Amino acid sequence: MLELFTYDFMQRSLFAAAMVGGLCSVIGVFVVLRGLAFMGAGTAHAAFAGVALGFLMGWPPLLMAILFGLATVWITGWVEEKGRMKLDVSIGILYTATMAMAILFIGLMKTYNAEVYGYLFGNVLAVTSEELGTIAGLSIVVIGAIVLFSKELYFIAFDQEMAEASGVPARRIFFLLLTLVALTVVVSLKTVGAILVFAMILIPASTAYQLTHSLSTLTWYSVLIGITCSVGGVLISSYWDIPSGPAIVLIATVLFFVAVLFSPKKQRRFLALS
Amino acid sequence: MVPTAWVERALTTVASQTSPIIHFEHATFGFPGVVALEDISLEIHSGEFVGVIGPNGSGKTTLCRAVLGLMAPLKGHLRIFDCACDELRCHHRARIGYLPQKGAVDRNFPVTVLETVMMGRYGTLGLFTRPSGKDRKIAMDALAHVGMEGHRDSALGHLSGGQQQRAFIARALAQQPDVLLLDEPTTGLDITTQHNVVELVQHLHEELGLTVLLITHDINMIRSRVDRLVLLKTRLYAAGPPAEVLKPDILSQVYGKDLVITEKDLVIVEDYHHHH
Repeated sequence: MLELFTYDFMQRSLFAAAMVGGLCSVIGVFVVLRGLAFMGAGTAHAAFAGVALGFLMGWPPLLMAILFGLATVWITGWVEEKGRMKLDVSIGILYTATMAMAILFIGLMKTYNAEVYGYLFGNVLAVTSEELGTIAGLSIVVIGAIVLFSKELYFIAFDQEMAEASGVPARRIFFLLLTLVALTVVVSLKTVGAILVFAMILIPASTAYQLTHSLSTLTWYSVLIGITCSVGGVLISSYWDIPSGPAIVLIATVLFFVAVLFSPKKQRRFLALS
Repeated sequence: MVPTAWVERALTTVASQTSPIIHFEHATFGFPGVVALEDISLEIHSGEFVGVIGPNGSGKTTLCRAVLGLMAPLKGHLRIFDCACDELRCHHRARIGYLPQKGAVDRNFPVTVLETVMMGRYGTLGLFTRPSGKDRKIAMDALAHVGMEGHRDSALGHLSGGQQQRAFIARALAQQPDVLLLDEPTTGLDITTQHNVVELVQHLHEELGLTVLLITHDINMIRSRVDRLVLLKTRLYAAGPPAEVLKPDILSQVYGKDLVITEKDLVIVEDYHHHH
């Protein structure tokens, strides 16, 4: 198995997996705590529609993914703020509308394009050096923003109105969070794919949520779990020759259920009952 | 630029000694078609302990949101720290320590008591500034003020209702505010704990010289402690010392048949929650 590490493509994919795993699991902490789970899923499908349009028109697919992703999060954020309708309804509409667009764009393509499907299901083993550069660049931007605004992001995740009342520019920070979610989804498209990216955002943070009562510990656990699952998934997928996206997500899912079973929170509840 | 900023601050300080820190002038609040508070004129001065009472749906929480600068008047004016409320900036908001209604905050959020209290520093610090040892000290002092220094590493969700309220009051104190704004701080607590929380608030008012605005439907809990009572039911029915406000004729206008006054002059208002 060790000779795997000597291949260039293997080194690239391990790097990509570790970055995407780390990135998704950090942003996931805020997504889970702020209750934006469904929004991430909608964003992933919108970004995929952007990719499909990019391939159809010959435009840069990742740029189109960013535009579609940002449009989706900003519209849903605006709808939530205005309180015009329930957030899950507006995301549900955008989710399906962008998926319809993606199917339409793919249908309009004259030939079968395997690369488009790569963005749907993800293939970390096929990541090129150029894509690795894009992933690294966007990851630095997102992680940098999270580090810079971490105290405000934690506060709005805890209670946005209380944050605003305490003198934090909560509205702007909320839209920053939405923007970071969209960028994270785009960064992860190539590795885990539009369908599974959301698992990578949701599962590590939810697993860490089972294990601690401290915000900072939660974040570190989440990153640790995210990177472990991604790297582990890539190794398993190349060793047994199975698709990488599902391998990563299924490892994360197994870890999540183990964490639920052995959660100190659950034991405490049990002790409280008995 | 430094002298200008200093002069501005000095002027604000002079102004705050003469004018009220919260000033409603014929202010009406609500949404198009729904009036939550109508024609409110009220001055709150520095160092006062003011209780705001009124039945459910009387606009108490709207008053709270207005003071926090989260809602601008549809008509009239509201000035906070001598600043029009729709021009209220983040550093103004940081001067008001706010305790939201129980239930407004997710009590199972994975956060420790100290992490919660530290959040009180975030608005005061502003963007791009990391909390330092000094902020930690302020947070620890705030915990000591509410008698919770021994619980700093406990999970917020593991505390009792009264302890959680204390932790949230400490969070507000960590802002080093001029005003403490408490929205129904005793709801959902047992009688002893209710008294302890109100006693703590009175203690903080006296010891730290805080201006306190306490919103509640429990008249008996606060009548002996506040300097002034404000009686709301969409309009402002009365504002003044408790003895002047708690008169049968004034109270019956607001509470109608739900008002019971016993021989010992205790005002008992039926719990409005049962009517919904």
